[in-house]
Amino acid sequence: MTIPLVEFDRVVLGYGTRSVMDEVSFQVPKGDFLGFVGPNGSGKTTIIRSLLGTLVPLSGVITRAPDLRFGYVPQRDHVDSLYPLTVDDVVIMGRYDRIPIGRRPGPADRKAAQVALEQVGIPDLARRPLASLSGGQKQRALIARALVGDPNLLVLDEPTNGMDLVSTTQILGLVRDLHDDRGLTVIMVSHALNEVANYVRRIGLVFGGHLRLGTVPDIINEAVLTEVYGLPVEVNSFDGHRVVLARSRHLGDDHV
Amino acid sequence: MFEAVLLFREALYGALVIGIACAVLGVYVVLRRIVFVGAALAQLSSAGIGLALWLAGLGLFGSTHAHTIGMSLVITLAGALFFGVGGGRRYLHHEATIGVTYSVAAAMGILLVAKAVTGEAHDLFLQGNILGITRGDTLVLLAVAVPVLILHAVVAKEFLFVSFDPETAQTLGYRVVRWNLLLYLTIGLVIAFAMQFAGVLLVFNFLVVPAVTGLLLARTYWGVFGCSICAAALAATIGFVISVPLDLPTGPAIVAVSGLLALAAWLVRRARGE
Repeated sequence: MTIPLVEFDRVVLGYGTRSVMDEVSFQVPKGDFLGFVGPNGSGKTTIIRSLLGTLVPLSGVITRAPDLRFGYVPQRDHVDSLYPLTVDDVVIMGRYDRIPIGRRPGPADRKAAQVALEQVGIPDLARRPLASLSGGQKQRALIARALVGDPNLLVLDEPTNGMDLVSTTQILGLVRDLHDDRGLTVIMVSHALNEVANYVRRIGLVFGGHLRLGTVPDIINEAVLTEVYGLPVEVNSFDGHRVVLARSRHLGDDHV
Repeated sequence: MFEAVLLFREALYGALVIGIACAVLGVYVVLRRIVFVGAALAQLSSAGIGLALWLAGLGLFGSTHAHTIGMSLVITLAGALFFGVGGGRRYLHHEATIGVTYSVAAAMGILLVAKAVTGEAHDLFLQGNILGITRGDTLVLLAVAVPVLILHAVVAKEFLFVSFDPETAQTLGYRVVRWNLLLYLTIGLVIAFAMQFAGVLLVFNFLVVPAVTGLLLARTYWGVFGCSICAAALAATIGFVISVPLDLPTGPAIVAVSGLLALAAWLVRRARGE
């Protein structure tokens, strides 16, 4: 039996003494492509922080595989544009933990950074200042930084937040390719249900301190979504893509 | 003019040591947007000096320079520890805590010196007396600054990572709180010693303005440090050279030159069209 990369066993999450998430239990097996979806402030980031080990659970057990290595892609606007760093400088940070204290990145690190930039499709931007990049390019640079450390679990926090339709499609396509082609296990957090529903294999709906997790057909259906969101929800399919449509209680007032 | 400068050359060397050390640390202070932590630590240092003088006046504490440095160091490092671990964040915004510390420490420094037996004479400690630096003082400053700068050179990439993206650094196993603590302690250490000779205004200037000049001029991260060091050294030298023959207060003259260099850097940046 394959050991999961991460396992949550009756984990209660919160800050101080305040509980944010009820008892949460799930596994992340190798090769999974899991999306956590929910409204802003629902607790998605809290789950991710505990998964990454930056938030200690209030109770329960989180088990991580011994060979687990995260590649973390933070929200793009968390990256400070005041620092005069090139794309190359930022990507190499993903290997800093392998470089002893007192040593600088060497040719092997620079080569690895170049390979990572090629994987995300921006090898020619290596010497450009990070601050000068567009939102989509910056996101690719951050994904390259996560990849350069050769992770077996890629975690992305709101990777398409604030992006236009083209950039959103390109970034989600890139993440799907990394999963399909490299067999990389991927966890993605987003508030955009329609975006996530068409890319991931499993979805964790986070709402009101609860988590409901299952395969895409298990979760993205009218019965579940209507129950969770408390609104009549329609799930349609166009050209193989799921489109979730929430109807407000006023007739004719639709939201995608 | 040259003879006057030569007469106070030890003071110039001391100012250069303070300026260069603060210019390196100042890059982190400015990039991490903790400019007022620097100001608050400088005021805590002055409160430490005031406390030492007041206790000495009561006969409860030694009155040598080493005693004032010791007390200032203890108070400043306690402040650095407090800010380094994010003290007070549970109840207040970080900036509010810094503001309270800054104003209360500044007032305490003034009140304690006012009530010290030789208070008026010791006002100089709070304002700084850069011209009074001796060779011995410069050696003391070097003994503090050189190890701090070596440490910063050794752990430069770690300080960069935990400053730029602490969240990601933590996921790669960096103990961010400990690194922050180390950074704050080095800042507190340099401030505590620099304050004995340069005063709040000059130390705060060296912590902020050369780094701003560096950020405006340099195109690379490591270039910021180089430009910041050059700006501090230039400001210290020019400010010193013009203040002695013109009988200007040296500290404010250095600050004024720092400001002019920052202005020039801003104009260069604009001219580049960036």
